[in-house]
Amino acid sequence: MAKKILIVDDDPDLVEAVSTILESKGYEVSAAYGGIEGLEKAKTENPDLIVLDIMMPDKDGYVVCKELKADPKYRSIPVLLLTAVVSKLSTTRYTQQMGMETEADDYVDKPVEPEELVRRIEALLSR
Amino acid sequence: MNEVSKILVIDDEAVMRDGCCRILAREQCEVVTAANGEEGLAAIQRDPHGFEVVLLDLKMPGMSGMEVLEATRELNPALLIVVITGYATVDSAVEAMKKGAYDFIPKPFTPDQLRLVVNRAVEKRRLELETQRLKAEAARSLRDVATEKSKVKTIITCMADGVLVTDREGRIVLTNPAAGRMLGLRLDACLEKPLHEAIADEKLNEAVQEVMQPEDRDVATISQDLQIGDSLIRAHTAAVKSEEGEQLGAVTVLEDMTYLLELDRMRADFIAMVSHELRSPISAVEQNINLILKGLAGQTTEKQRHLLSRAKERSRGLLDLVSDLLEMSKIDAGIALQRKERLQVEEVVNKVVELMEGEAQAKGIALHREIAPSLAPVLGDRDNLEGVFTNLVSNAMKYTPTGGEVRVEMEHEGDYVKTVVADTGIGISKEDLARIFDKFYRVKSEKTRGIVGTGLGLSIVKSIVEAHFGSITVESEEGKGTAFTVLLPHLPAS
Repeated sequence: MAKKILIVDDDPDLVEAVSTILESKGYEVSAAYGGIEGLEKAKTENPDLIVLDIMMPDKDGYVVCKELKADPKYRSIPVLLLTAVVSKLSTTRYTQQMGMETEADDYVDKPVEPEELVRRIEALLSR
Repeated sequence: MNEVSKILVIDDEAVMRDGCCRILAREQCEVVTAANGEEGLAAIQRDPHGFEVVLLDLKMPGMSGMEVLEATRELNPALLIVVITGYATVDSAVEAMKKGAYDFIPKPFTPDQLRLVVNRAVEKRRLELETQRLKAEAARSLRDVATEKSKVKTIITCMADGVLVTDREGRIVLTNPAAGRMLGLRLDACLEKPLHEAIADEKLNEAVQEVMQPEDRDVATISQDLQIGDSLIRAHTAAVKSEEGEQLGAVTVLEDMTYLLELDRMRADFIAMVSHELRSPISAVEQNINLILKGLAGQTTEKQRHLLSRAKERSRGLLDLVSDLLEMSKIDAGIALQRKERLQVEEVVNKVVELMEGEAQAKGIALHREIAPSLAPVLGDRDNLEGVFTNLVSNAMKYTPTGGEVRVEMEHEGDYVKTVVADTGIGISKEDLARIFDKFYRVKSEKTRGIVGTGLGLSIVKSIVEAHFGSITVESEEGKGTAFTVLLPHLPAS
């Protein structure tokens, strides 16, 4: 059975792009366009993995991630953070540290390189 | 006596007038004569301040000497009148003295007697004038002091910064409305009061006491930030000393930083906003290009892929530029350097070099390190310093052709930890060398055409190094290579 991945991002273009990449690899994709909706779908649809954007207007990715990881029922769902910071100077490292503090499982820089995204997701799912 | 004294002789006897003229002419006196009272008084009326001394015969036909004396006293009370008493009666002399005559000389008199009396009168007149002059001078300088005082007071009152002056005993002796506003003081109520009674802030009281310590110490000024209500006040306190080095009191200048902090916060908010608003769409564009390039949106031709990869490179450049700009403004706003810690620069450098080794190998460049042992620690922001060395090393590799070498050397130099990043690359021309730390400056030549950059990298590097109170310099020779030297002040090794 195809693994189900939830994409949470307020930018519909990005959701579409990530969906296209993941669908091409045979994943079943579900989308949420904000933090609150994302949290809801994570709980009702019980995905195998969540791709989570950080900067969202209603509830940001750090908070969503923290709430999920605090709940024993959803703690085991791997979370891949999307960071809006390109790997310039070392701001990424800072963001990454912030991501790790919220117990996200991995992170990927935006814009996403298709192969990189798929590689990270495969690694998380095979854990 | 250098100056010529003007003397008026009023006597009805021509012999007397001629005699006086002859005697006094030798005393450097200019003598004017009048043959009767009316004539004499007219001369005085014409110019009441024209004479220093008047020799006046009391007994004359017509207007008497006594009448002339009275009228003259009214015209100019300062004029010295010496009466000549013809028939040596003490009575008339006493009466004349009572009416304001300065002296008298009885007839007949010897030339010496006349000279003595006149000289005494002239001398007195001079002393009087001198006294007057000194008095006027004193009055003028008192007026100057008063003007100066009022000028200083106006300046202090109008200043946007607060001023608080305390005397030796710690009483407030001078302050201004700005200080009152910042510290919540009522100006009229706090004057002459001890500082600690007027102001509760302990840090400020301690600083004033500290600078007033009698022993002469190196610390001349204490600067500190005070939290007073909702405001942040920066206070600079210094002792006031006399020329002999005696402590007279303390001056505190207060600067309201609240507004600046608010500005900083607004700037940070703006940066965060721009960061999201600009990056998101560019990154979405690149994202879609990626998908098409990877064939996830259907088959593409070779030409389409070429055009798309050009488009991707340009949008990546734009993204880098936005990132650099934001980094730059963060540093300008002082936001980026708020995480300074005690660190070993060589750890940062080692990490950067290790990260770059793969790229160096791929490009066929030898990447060497030479780090002196036991370097002193530095107070720095780890992430930003990592940015500095990443930038310098990756620049060195960008501009060094295959087969070249990039060396990173570290050692102490005085109070600094010195890091040199040297390459055997294409070098930088003299004209370009002077400008490479400028914002947006990029070296344009045949050789650099294929190299992508934003032109902000080195100016960010410079800003970061300077925010660490360090310096960065560059030496280069075209065709030979370039060496960047970064000096960072080190902490005492513990």
